[in-house]
Amino acid sequence: MKLLTHNLLSSHVRGVGPRGFPLRLQATEVRINPVEFNPDFVARMIPKVEWAALLEAAETVRTLPHARVHLPGEWGGGEWSHRQPRARGGTPGDDLGLCPQLHLVEVPKGPIEGYEHDEKFLRQMHHVLLEVDVLEGTLQCPESGRLFPISRGIPNMLLSDEETET
Amino acid sequence: MLTFCISSLPCPPPHASIAMDSNSQSNYKLSKTEKKFLRKQIKARHTLLRHEGIETVSYATQSLVVANGGLGNGVSRNQLLPVLEKYGLVDALLMPPHKPYSFVRYRTAEEAKKAYVTLNGKEIVDDLGQKILLYLNFVEKAQWKELGLQALPPGLMVVEEIISSEDEKMLLESINWTEDIDNQNVQKYLKHRRVKHFGYEFHYENNNVDKDMPLPGGLPGICDSFLEKWLKEGFIKHKPDQLTVNQYEPGHGIPAHIDTHSAFEDEIVSLSLGSEIVMDFKHPDGVTVPVMLPRRSLLVMTGESRYLWMHGITPRKFDTVQASKGLQSGIITSDVGDLTLSKRGMRTSFTFRKVRQTPCNCSYPLVCDSQMKETPPSFPESAREASQLEQDYVHRVYEEIAEHFSSTRHTPWPRVVEFLKSLPCGSLVADVGCGNGKYLGVNKELYMIGCDRSQKLVDICRERCFQALVCDALAVPLCSGSCDACISIAVIHHFSTAERRVAALQELVRLLRPGGQALVYVWAMEQEYNKKKSKYLRENRISQGKEEGTSSDTAMPELLVEQVPNVGSRDSECCVSSVTDLPEGGHKARTVTNAKLPVHTNRTSFPSQDLLVPWHHQGNPGEGKPGHPAGAHDPGPVFHRYYHVFCEGELEATCQTLNSVSILQSYYDQGNWCVILQKV
Repeated sequence: MKLLTHNLLSSHVRGVGPRGFPLRLQATEVRINPVEFNPDFVARMIPKVEWAALLEAAETVRTLPHARVHLPGEWGGGEWSHRQPRARGGTPGDDLGLCPQLHLVEVPKGPIEGYEHDEKFLRQMHHVLLEVDVLEGTLQCPESGRLFPISRGIPNMLLSDEETET
Repeated sequence: MLTFCISSLPCPPPHASIAMDSNSQSNYKLSKTEKKFLRKQIKARHTLLRHEGIETVSYATQSLVVANGGLGNGVSRNQLLPVLEKYGLVDALLMPPHKPYSFVRYRTAEEAKKAYVTLNGKEIVDDLGQKILLYLNFVEKAQWKELGLQALPPGLMVVEEIISSEDEKMLLESINWTEDIDNQNVQKYLKHRRVKHFGYEFHYENNNVDKDMPLPGGLPGICDSFLEKWLKEGFIKHKPDQLTVNQYEPGHGIPAHIDTHSAFEDEIVSLSLGSEIVMDFKHPDGVTVPVMLPRRSLLVMTGESRYLWMHGITPRKFDTVQASKGLQSGIITSDVGDLTLSKRGMRTSFTFRKVRQTPCNCSYPLVCDSQMKETPPSFPESAREASQLEQDYVHRVYEEIAEHFSSTRHTPWPRVVEFLKSLPCGSLVADVGCGNGKYLGVNKELYMIGCDRSQKLVDICRERCFQALVCDALAVPLCSGSCDACISIAVIHHFSTAERRVAALQELVRLLRPGGQALVYVWAMEQEYNKKKSKYLRENRISQGKEEGTSSDTAMPELLVEQVPNVGSRDSECCVSSVTDLPEGGHKARTVTNAKLPVHTNRTSFPSQDLLVPWHHQGNPGEGKPGHPAGAHDPGPVFHRYYHVFCEGELEATCQTLNSVSILQSYYDQGNWCVILQKV
């Protein structure tokens, strides 16, 4: 599940309505997945992003220990054309053993003026929105507390019959 | 590149009127209808070559292939032959069984040319009274596969000389037809023949065995060695536990029947002793295949030949056989040049079967007593019943068939692709009921999220690196107004009440931002719209991997070349009652109460709007055992999926009840009713 997808998800437990957003993300396993950079595409996403939710989700991923973050080199898949893969551990400023990619990449706090043409900004957003893939974890409804599992990258948002009944 | 026949032969289609002399070929301009006709003729050629390996030629010969004029699409010999004979002396008319074409050979090429010129594009009436167009092409010679194992009923095999003459004599002498009445092996004298049962008694009142009352003694000892040998050599896969010995005197027969599904397992074998005989196999479509069973041969029936085809022996004293083949096994063709009579002798058959201990689960539910006995589900009366029905007949089924289903869903429909490609770069699109993710990768400039109720199908999306989640279409966990567009292709017809269908549509609208568009496709009741059969009906039986699953029980004739649609006329099978079924302020009027849902026969018209459609799940093909009949694989279980197919106008009417929605487009596409909605 990409963080852009998470940004659109909302709990549909009965009676919760708009208070079901955003779902609280708890990630236990994440993979960084290189995706081809399309600046036009990213620029068009920016106005649609709910920033607070994005920042919250990015922070939970950022604070994951090393062992829980799989980097592209590991599985030998995908091109990594615009960034050097970082070695695990021993990186300067990385004493906390935090997810190196997000630690290095600053997550912008909001859209900046002229973002459409700001490549650095767009690349950062591209990384956060599209290249972080949550494999295992949970999503929690902020209102009802109901937990939805994420397994093999797939959130299961099915409610039981009781939960959907009027 | 095939050249148009026009350039080598001056043979314009019958309905064109062109004045032409031999020098004006270069000035020849084709009218629209002629071009269309030529396209169809070329398409027929291509289909024949691709599917049947039939090569056509562009010069005149004595032989023609007549596309759409075959037994396989409902044209009989006595309809076609008189038509052909008008143009010359017909040497032969060869109509291969089950094929949508036939071959005609005229005495001379001149006569063939006359037929070619006049009959091309000609309309004839098939045996259902439907008008079809014939397309003719020249061939060097009639080419179709030898009538050998190819045209035997699938799963059927005849093993010749499986026992020696001595063993035959021994077996015949071992049967004591005049035993005492209080002997456990009960002997009955039936109208046409004598029978004896071993292992289990077969009851003719209900054509079944009593599984709880095995006959003492089991199978006769002398059979053991044969059965072991046949098992070892792979002629049979299972050890039978029931034997019926039938004795047919000349003039005796047995009426055509299918051995009761619930009584016996797949494999049924019959050893013929004393005399050869011709056994008739009948397919429900009406095709009859006469098969010669020589003396000392073993007939093996599995799969389709055991479960679907009927077999019987006509009570008569002479059989019609093929002179050239003598008494070899094989099909008796209707080749008038080769037939002769064979006098019957006394024939005894040893039919070995294995008694079923569990209900039958074959792929032929309509002729299966186990499956027809199951209480069919009924039309739901409440939301809970609706949800349960969908759980049993939609969700559970898709979970079971996910992989197979996915393999038949590979070609995105063009108009859906068109819709997706028309969306601007960076659009957020939800695919509600995304299935195997067929549409999720169509336009790389979009951010698409797939939702499906089936975990297995979502797993397949994930394998393809798409964003997908598991959820119910009635409660999509995306924020309201977050999507620039939505699609829901072949989904809403799985909801079993009008309320739920409306709710599913309302959910799509909720997801859209103002101005956003949704594309919805649902199966149409009218599979033949504007006199043009949808792909579902038209699909050729032979080809694999079709869009709408596989089927073995088709009743509609299939044409090689589609009809020219009759513009202006419409099928009027609309059921007005369904439109009044829509909820108004929560109160619903139901027109159908407590009705059972009918089971549909694949590749035929829908009998009603609410029905169950079979899915034949392919089991694993039989491993390569020596001598095992080709094509005899595990039939695999059949699943029933619930559908509510939509009448013309019904989808539109349903959308009109939604809040804040306007209908941009409404159309029919390949057996589906479609709308494009916009949120205002």
